[in-house]
Amino acid sequence: MIETREILIAIGLLGAIVYATRAGGYLLGLQARKIGALRPILETLPGCAMMAIILPAMREGSFAEIAALLVVVGLMWKTNNVALATLVGLAVLVIGAKF
Amino acid sequence: MRAVLAPAFLSLRDVMTFGESFRLGVRSSLGYVISTFLFGVLFGVAAASADFAHWQVVIMSAAVFSASAQFAALEFWIAPLPLATIALSVFLISTRNILLGMSMANHFDGHSVSRRAICLFILNDPGVVTSFGLKGDYDRLGFVTGYGCALMTSWLTSSLLGFSMAQYIPDQYVASMSFAGPLVMATMMVLFAKGSDAEPLPWVVSGLAALVLHELAFAPWVILPCAVSAGVVAALWVNRNSDD
Repeated sequence: MIETREILIAIGLLGAIVYATRAGGYLLGLQARKIGALRPILETLPGCAMMAIILPAMREGSFAEIAALLVVVGLMWKTNNVALATLVGLAVLVIGAKF
Repeated sequence: MRAVLAPAFLSLRDVMTFGESFRLGVRSSLGYVISTFLFGVLFGVAAASADFAHWQVVIMSAAVFSASAQFAALEFWIAPLPLATIALSVFLISTRNILLGMSMANHFDGHSVSRRAICLFILNDPGVVTSFGLKGDYDRLGFVTGYGCALMTSWLTSSLLGFSMAQYIPDQYVASMSFAGPLVMATMMVLFAKGSDAEPLPWVVSGLAALVLHELAFAPWVILPCAVSAGVVAALWVNRNSDD
C-alpha cells in the first residue's frame, strides 16, 4: 500500500517535471539560437527512454501481451491510426486473458 | 515534426483574434479528442489495476496531462514508490516537450506571461503539429490553447470514466489492462519514429541495452539511465559519422 503523502509527492513531481520540460523548451527557444547542436540528442532521448521501458516490459509479458504489442506496432506502422491500433491491441489482451 | 494535412476548413483568410483562434483550435481537435479519450479510458483502467483512488486519477491527469509520462509512471507504481526512477523516466520521455516548447518560441509574442504560462501547461504535440499545418493569419497561442483545453477535457473525463468502469470489469480483464501502458507507449513510439528525422540506431541500442540489463536483474533505476546513455552514445556516434 502506497501512502497518500507519497502519492501526492510523486504526482507533484511528475507535474513539475512535465511542465518544466514544456516551459524550459520555450525559454530555451527564446534565449538561444545556438541550441541547434542539442537538437539531435533531444530528438533521440524520448525514443531511447520509450524503448528502454517497452522492451523489458515485452520480455516480461505473456504470450497474449507480446502478441498485442506486435499487433499494435504493425497496425500503427501500416495505418497510423492510433484508435484502431489501440482497440485491436486491447481486444488481443482481453481475448488472451480468457485463456 | 510530423507533417499533418490540415482539414479543408482550416484555410484562413482574415486575421483571427485569440478567441476565434481558440474556438478554431477546439473544433480542429476532434480527431485527437477521440484518440485521447481512448487513451484516457485505458489510463483509468490501468490506474485502477495499480490501486489508485478516484481523486488520485483526477489529480494526476490534471496536474501532469501527458499520456506517455503517466503511463511510464504507472510502470514503476509499486510501494515504496521509486521516486527517482519515476522522475527520471518521466523526464526522459518528456524531453520531446523541450522541442515542442522551443518550436513555440516565436509564436507567443504579444501575450501576457500568465496566458503563455497557461498555454505551456496544456501544450501538446497534435495541437502544435496541426497549428503548423494551418494557413492564414491566426493567433497560434489561442489555437494551441483551445486545442489543449479540448484534449484536457477529454483526458480528464475519460480517465475518470475508465477508472469508474474498471470496477465492473472482471478482475482478470483489469489485470490484463495493466499492459495497456506498454501498448500505448508502443503507439507513441511508432508515431514518434515515423515523424522524427532521427536515426533509429540509438533507439535500438537503448532497447537492447535495457533488455540485457533486465536479464542481468538490474533494478529499473539502473536500467533506464544506463540504457538511455547507451542510446545517446550511439546518437553521438551516428551524428559524428554523418558529419564526416
